[in-house]
Amino acid sequence: MNVSPLFFIILLPIIAALFIMAGAAPRRIAGLAALVNFLMVVTLLFFYKPGAAEHYQFVKTWPILPGYGLNFTLGADGLSLVMLLLATLVTLCAVWATPKIEKWESGFFASLLFISAGVIGAFASVDVFFFYAFHELALIPTFLLIGIWGSGDRQAAAWKATIYLALGSFVLLIGIIGLYFSAAPGHLRTFDMRGLQELAKNGALVQKDWVYFLLLFGFGTLISLFPFHSWAPQAYSSAPAPAAMLHAGVLKKFGLYGMLRLIVPLFPETMQVYMNLLLVLLLFNIIYIGLVTIAQKKLDWMLGYSSVMHMGYIFLGVAASWEVVMSYTGASILMFAHGLSIAALFALCGQLRERTGTVEMSQLGGLARKIPVLSLLFGFATMASIGLPGFANFAGEILVFFGAFAMGIKSGGLSPYQIATIVALWGVVISAVYGLRAYRKVFLGETGVVNPDMPDLNLGSRAAVILLLIGLMVVGFYPQPFINLLAPIWLH
Amino acid sequence: MSPSLGDYLFVSGLLFAIGLAGVLLRRNILIIFMCLELMLNAANLSLVAFSRYNLTDLGLPNFNAQVFVFFIITVAAAEVAVGLAIIVALYRARRTTHVEDLNRMKF
Amino acid sequence: MNVQTLPWIILFAPLLAAIVILFFGKYSKPLSAGLAIFSAALGCALSWYLFLHPTVTESFRIEWMNFSAFWPYHDVPAFRIPIGFILDPISRMMLVVVTSIATLVFIYSLGYMRTEEGYWRYFAGLALFLFSMLGIVLADNFVMMFMFWELVGVSSYILIGHYFGKNSAADAGKQAFIVNRIGDFGFMAGILLLWYATKTIVFSEIQENVAHGLFADNQLYLAVACILVFCGTIGKSAQLPLHVWLPNSMEGPTPVSSLLHAATMVAAGVYMLARIFPILLMAPMARDVIAWVGGITLFVAALMATQQNDIKRILAYSTISQLGYMVLGIGVAPVADVALFHLFTHACFKCLLFLTAGSVIVGMHHEQDIWKMGAIKNKMPATFLCCLAGAAALSAVPFTSGHYSKDLIIAFAWSKPPLFWLALVTAGLTAFYVGRLFFVVFFGPPRSEHAKHCAESPKVMTVPMFLLALAAIGAGWPFIADKFFVLPEVHVEPPFFNAMTLGALVLGLGGAFLLYRNVEKDPISIPFFANRMYIDNLYAQLVKFGQDRVGLVLAWMDRWIIDGAGVRGSGKVAMCAGFALRLLQIGNIQAYAFFFGAGVVILIYLLIR
Repeated sequence: MNVSPLFFIILLPIIAALFIMAGAAPRRIAGLAALVNFLMVVTLLFFYKPGAAEHYQFVKTWPILPGYGLNFTLGADGLSLVMLLLATLVTLCAVWATPKIEKWESGFFASLLFISAGVIGAFASVDVFFFYAFHELALIPTFLLIGIWGSGDRQAAAWKATIYLALGSFVLLIGIIGLYFSAAPGHLRTFDMRGLQELAKNGALVQKDWVYFLLLFGFGTLISLFPFHSWAPQAYSSAPAPAAMLHAGVLKKFGLYGMLRLIVPLFPETMQVYMNLLLVLLLFNIIYIGLVTIAQKKLDWMLGYSSVMHMGYIFLGVAASWEVVMSYTGASILMFAHGLSIAALFALCGQLRERTGTVEMSQLGGLARKIPVLSLLFGFATMASIGLPGFANFAGEILVFFGAFAMGIKSGGLSPYQIATIVALWGVVISAVYGLRAYRKVFLGETGVVNPDMPDLNLGSRAAVILLLIGLMVVGFYPQPFINLLAPIWLH
Repeated sequence: MSPSLGDYLFVSGLLFAIGLAGVLLRRNILIIFMCLELMLNAANLSLVAFSRYNLTDLGLPNFNAQVFVFFIITVAAAEVAVGLAIIVALYRARRTTHVEDLNRMKF
Repeated sequence: MNVQTLPWIILFAPLLAAIVILFFGKYSKPLSAGLAIFSAALGCALSWYLFLHPTVTESFRIEWMNFSAFWPYHDVPAFRIPIGFILDPISRMMLVVVTSIATLVFIYSLGYMRTEEGYWRYFAGLALFLFSMLGIVLADNFVMMFMFWELVGVSSYILIGHYFGKNSAADAGKQAFIVNRIGDFGFMAGILLLWYATKTIVFSEIQENVAHGLFADNQLYLAVACILVFCGTIGKSAQLPLHVWLPNSMEGPTPVSSLLHAATMVAAGVYMLARIFPILLMAPMARDVIAWVGGITLFVAALMATQQNDIKRILAYSTISQLGYMVLGIGVAPVADVALFHLFTHACFKCLLFLTAGSVIVGMHHEQDIWKMGAIKNKMPATFLCCLAGAAALSAVPFTSGHYSKDLIIAFAWSKPPLFWLALVTAGLTAFYVGRLFFVVFFGPPRSEHAKHCAESPKVMTVPMFLLALAAIGAGWPFIADKFFVLPEVHVEPPFFNAMTLGALVLGLGGAFLLYRNVEKDPISIPFFANRMYIDNLYAQLVKFGQDRVGLVLAWMDRWIIDGAGVRGSGKVAMCAGFALRLLQIGNIQAYAFFFGAGVVILIYLLIR
C-alpha cells in the first residue's frame, strides 16, 4: 500500500474545516466530512486482519529524523481502530446534535473538526512524538469552544481547563522524553511505539521510576485521575454540548489509550511495585467522586463528576492489565462504552438546557410527560452509564471486575486487587443512586418550577443519540468481535 | 612616540563611560540617544585598535574586526534613523522629550 | 424444526415483542396488548411442551465472551461467559409457572389497564419483564443469571414507576432498583469469590469442583461466598433487611404487583438458591445464616402485615413473609424441592389474591384502603369466591395447596427448634391477617359510598381469576405435586404436628373472625407494627446522614480544598508572585538602563572573580 488510508482520515476534517472557514455551508460540510470519516473507519475494520503477525496495519512512514528514531508513522492495530471508531462516531453525533449556533457558526464547526482531526491523528500515530503533538492540536479548539460558545462562567472554565491540561501535557512531555532516553546503552533510541515495545520485550528498556510517575501523572491529569480531576466537571458544565461530547467522550480517552500503549507494556515491573498507589487513587475516583456526584445539584455538574467517577473503573482495568488479558480488553471496551454513553448524556443535557434554560435539578420535574422521546433516550443513556446488561458498559465492567479479581495471591486472604475490586463494586450502587435520582428529579414525578412549553427532540439529535445507543447495544449484546480485535494485542 | 594599545583602550573606555553616564543621568531623550551613539563608537574604537595591534601570522591586521566596525556603523545609521523617527513621533504625541515624563509603561 | 431451538424461542419472543411495542406500540393499543399476550402464550405453550417431554435436556450454547483463543496462562482454564440454557426438572417447572401466570396476568391486564395511561409502555415493560425472568430461569451460569437479574430489576423499575407523574410511584421505582442493586453488590462479590476459587462460572462445573472437595479445608471461604451470593436473594426476594422496597412497589398497577412482586420476580431469589443448592449443601454455615434470615423475615413481616390498612400492602407483607418460608425451606430441608414447592403454590395463590385485590380496587374506583370497603360479598360474587380460595390457600386450610407446601417446610424446621416455633406462630399470624383482610373487605357494614355501589369486574378479569383459583386449591394435591417435584419424607416429625398447625390456623382465623366480623374501624392499634417497626424511617435517616450529608461534605471538600486550595491556590500563588515582581517595573527608562548595567557589572564580576 502506497499511501495509508489513515492519512486521509486525518486530513479530511482539516480540509473540511478549511473549506468551512472559507465560507462553505458549515453544518452540511461538517456533517458530510464526519459521515465519510466514520464510514471509512468502518470499512477499515473490515479490512483489518486481527490474526495477522503484524498488528499495526495500514502503516506508512514519512522519515523526519531517522537517525534519531523520529518518523511520522501512521498505522492502526485493534485498539487504535476501536478508538478511531469511537472518535469518528462521536464526532458524527456531535455534529448532528449541535443545536442552532447563533454566533460565528463556521468557527464552531471548524473547531469541532479540528478536535476530531487531532484525536484521530493521535490514535492513528505509531510514533509517540506525533501521538503527543496531535493531542495538543485538539486542545486549542477545545479552549476556543468553551471560551466562546460556552455557558456560565465560561472564560474561567476555559482558562482553568486549558492551563491544567497544558500543565499535564507538559509533565507528560517530560515523561516521553525520559522514555526516549530510557533505551539501554547500545540500543537505538526510538519514538516508535513498536520499537519501544520491542526494546521492552528484549529487556533493553530501563524502567525508571521517575519516568513512570511522570507518565502516570501526566496521563492522569488528562484523564482526571484523583486528585487531578477538578478541571473536568467545571469544563464540561461550561462547554457547549458538542464540545463536552467530544472532550469527555473521546479526548479524555487519549490519556487512557496512552496508558495502555506506553505504561502497561513498557513498565510492568514498576506498575507491580507501585500498584497500591494506583489502586488507592482509583478507589478515590470511584467512591469519593461517586459520593460527590450524589451531592451535585445541577445535571451538567452531575454528568461531569460521573464521567470522572467512571474513569475509576477503567483505571482498575488498566492497573491489572500488565498481568491479565481480561483487564486489558475490559478497560478498552469500557473506554469505548463510556465514550458513547457520556456523549449521549451530554447531548441530551445540552438539548434540555436549550429547552428549559436551566439544568438545576430542583427547578425541574415531570418532564417525561412533555418531552417523552428525550426522556426515554435519556433513560436509556442513564441505564447504559450505570452499567445495565445489554449495553457495552456492562460488558466492559464485568471484564474489568473479573480481570482485577484474577489478581489473587497464593496464600489465603484477599490480594489488594481483590479488595479494591470489592470496594469498587460498591460504586455500582453509588452510580445507580445518582443516575436514578437525577432521572427521577428531572423527568419523573410532579411538574417542576421551570416548565415552559417546549418541542420534543428534533430529528438530528434524535438520530445522533439513537446511533450512539445502537453502538452501545451492539457491543453490549455481542462483545466477542471486540475481544477478537483487542486481546491479540495484549498477547503480543 | 606612537600611542600604544593601552592608550586607545583608555580613550575607548573613557568614551564608553561618558556615554554610559550620559544615558543614566541626562533627562533629554535626544541627548541619551547621542550618548548611546557615543558608546557604540567607543566599542568601534576598541575593535579597530585590537585589529591594528593583533597582527596575524602574515603580518597583516585582523580585518574581521574592521569589517565588523563597518557593519556597526551601517546598522547604527539605520538605527539612528528609526530612533529619531520614534522620538519625533513621541514628541508630537506627548510634547516633551524628557524621559521623566515618559513613564507610562509600568504596572 | 429442531426442539433444541424451543428455549430460544421461549426466551426471545417476549424481547422481540417488547422492541416492536417500543417502536410501534403508541400507534395501536390492540397491537401492543396482542403482541405481548401472544409472546407470553407462545412461551406458555412451548413450556408445557418441554415440561411434558423431559427428554429434551440440551439446547444450543453460544459464547458471549470467550478468551480461549487468547489465553496465555497454562495452569488456568480460559475465561469464558457462555449464554446457555439449563433444562432440568426445576427449570421446567419454573418455565411452566412463569409463562402460565404471565399469560393469565397479561390477559387480565387487558381489563385492568383499559382506561389507564401509557398502555404501550405498560405492555412493553411486561414483555421485557417476562424476557428477563425467563432468562434467570434458563441461565446455566452465574454471569448470565446476573445479567437477567439486573434486567428484572430494570423492568420492575419501569413497571413500578408506571404512574411516573406521581411522586410516590417515581420514588418507589427508584427505591426498588437501588435496594436491589445493594443486594447485587453482594451477589457479584460472591460470584467473583466462587469464580476465583473454581475458575468457572457455570453452575454444573462449580458443583463438580465443590463435590470434589475443593473447599474441604477452606469451609469458611465457601460459606462467605455463599452468603454473599445469598445477598442477591435478600435484595430480590425482599428478605430482611432489604425488604423495604417490596411494600412500596405496590405503587405500580395491580397486575404488576401480582406478577412481579408476588408470583415471579421475587421468587427469582429463591429459585437462584435452589439452583445452587448442591453448593449450599457443602456450606452448612451458610445454610444456617439463610435459615435464620428466612425465619426472622417470615415472623417480622407477618407482624407488620397485621396492622396495614392498604389492601395491597397487606398482601405485600404477606409475600415477604411467605418468601421467608421459602428461604427457611432452603435453609432446613434436605432438598430444594421443598422450597420450590412452596414457591409453586405461593405463585398460584398469591397471584390470585392480587388479582382479586385488583378486581376489588377497580370495583371500588381505585380505592385501596380496606377501611373504606365492606359488605361487597354480594356485589362482587365472583371476586369473593376467588378471594376465598386464595385466602384459604394462604392461611393453609387443609386440602388447599398452601397447606401441603407450608406444613412441609414447618415440619423440616423441627431440626432447628427456635425456627420451628417462629414458623408455627407465624402460621397463626398468617391466618389472622388474612382473616382480617377477608372479613373487613367482604363483610361488615359498607364503609364508604363506593362500597355501596361497586360492581363486578368484566369477564376478561374474572376468567383468569377462576383459573388461578382452581390452581390455588389444587396445585398442592399430592398427585399433582408429584408431577412437578420429588418431595422427601419427613423423618423426624415433631409431636402432635398436625394438631399444632391446625390449632394455629383455628386460633388465627377465629381471632380474626371475632375481632373483625362486624366493625367500623380497627379495634386494635399497634403503631409499632403499623409503622413497619420504623425500619423505613431508620433507613431514611441512614441515607440522609450516611450518604447525603457525607456527599455534601465531600463535595464541599472537593470544591474548596482540592479545587480551591490545591488548584486555584497554586494559581493564586503564581499571581501573587507576579504582583511582587511587577513592582520592579517602574517605567523609567534610565532605571532600566541602570539595572541592566548593574546586571552586566555583576556578571562580569562573577566571570572574572
